[in-house]
Amino acid sequence: MPAISVDTFFACSLMVLLVLSAMAGASKLLYPHINSAVDENVAERYREISKYMLLNGGKPSNWGQNGQTIPGTFGLAKAGSDNPYELDVDKVSRLNSENIYALSYAQIFTALKISDVSFRIEIKPIFEVAINLTATFEGANETIYQFEILTEKNGALVQAELKCYISAENHFEAKNAYASDGRTYLNVTIPNDVTGPAILTVFARAVSNTKITSFNACTFAHKSAEPEPKGTFLRLSPLNYTLTASFISPEIVLSDAYALTFNYNSTLMQTASDNESATYSIPLFLDSSPTLIIVTGWNSTNFFTEWTAYPQLPLQTGADFASSVTLSNVFAFTYVATINSALYKCTIWLGGPKE
Amino acid sequence: MKRQNKGQIRIVEAFLAVLIIFSSFAISANLTVTRNITKNDDLTSVGLQSLLKLDSDGSLGKYIDDANWSALRDALNLILPAGISFNLTVYDEQMLQVNNAIISNGAFSSQEIAFIEYVCASRSPIFHCYKIHLYLAVAK
Repeated sequence: MPAISVDTFFACSLMVLLVLSAMAGASKLLYPHINSAVDENVAERYREISKYMLLNGGKPSNWGQNGQTIPGTFGLAKAGSDNPYELDVDKVSRLNSENIYALSYAQIFTALKISDVSFRIEIKPIFEVAINLTATFEGANETIYQFEILTEKNGALVQAELKCYISAENHFEAKNAYASDGRTYLNVTIPNDVTGPAILTVFARAVSNTKITSFNACTFAHKSAEPEPKGTFLRLSPLNYTLTASFISPEIVLSDAYALTFNYNSTLMQTASDNESATYSIPLFLDSSPTLIIVTGWNSTNFFTEWTAYPQLPLQTGADFASSVTLSNVFAFTYVATINSALYKCTIWLGGPKE
Repeated sequence: MKRQNKGQIRIVEAFLAVLIIFSSFAISANLTVTRNITKNDDLTSVGLQSLLKLDSDGSLGKYIDDANWSALRDALNLILPAGISFNLTVYDEQMLQVNNAIISNGAFSSQEIAFIEYVCASRSPIFHCYKIHLYLAVAK
């Protein structure tokens, strides 16, 4: 074979290699930009869907109030509200699986009428309240419990005013406190003749804005065994300013029920009861605060305390995207929503197959 | 001998071509304008919503009337999602700066900054109108 043919063969091979490399390089360079354009369109579509969920009331517009109503169209906005992102207290409560009237994922998915989008909704207070029992001082007639109360947002401490309620069998007390740097200690004194377990309920209101209120509750043993986890004795379902307390076991006898907000508290009146449940009327407090509901009672010989919030928060409902992020486009959208004059953080995750 | 070396120039040509074309790729890769994935609209929407929420009960106007800049900074810090830096300036009707303290939660380290202009009316007996300029960026 002449040398010129060998040279030509090498030259042609190099040219082919060059063209292939150029094609590979061009596609590598352009792919992120093409993909980014697709992602932006998807993100824009999902953003509009998330807004639709929060700005529309759904059909019927009062679907939240009646526990038997399944919405034909999904939307969480309060009917007739002039303020954007104002959510209905009952529609939000029906997203919480603790509520016996909660909508299932399939029901929400059907009512949303968008077949190619999975979703997850999370609504919670703007900042968190943590309650830790740090010390117990037992006296002859009374016991003092020391609690550390932290108010923080993503690890940053939040200056807040606190309102604390302590309740046990035939015992109810309210206390004020102040977390000047997001941390304070509270001493709770309970007479030894009071039957426990007891519950400490804490409302924290941001000093900078009275509409930003958070809450938490902590049950603790007082002359009793360690308290059982939440939901062991009763399933509490507030809806349409009526609380339904469903008995988990048949030997339950209810004692007292309280409705608490930052500024107000009230004893709840039982409106009906049977072997399986009891209902109470919840007053509407004109307070920029969630309402915490405490129900106490006896399960044969054991005293118990159960609690829930109205709106029934914090809540998380919908698909779990944790394991499917690589298979689908998942976008999260965060909003500040108003429920009964108080502000909450609402995050909506939307996902679909990768295009 | 001369005839046998004739094809070598094609090899040199091919190498030169490879060099030129790959150089053009290397240069053009650096010249390509990177499109930001984080959309400015998101920040604008979040910022506007935060101001609207603060203004819905007159809190925003009251902060300004009372010159309570630390409370305004704390409220924005709470309402805005974590990881967003902000800088807010309040102007009066004549576009004179009203706030005499910096209302910010840190320096901006991002190149993408969203700007929101918001007009706020206070609810005190003496009516005041303020123009608010809010700059937002994702903290890095």
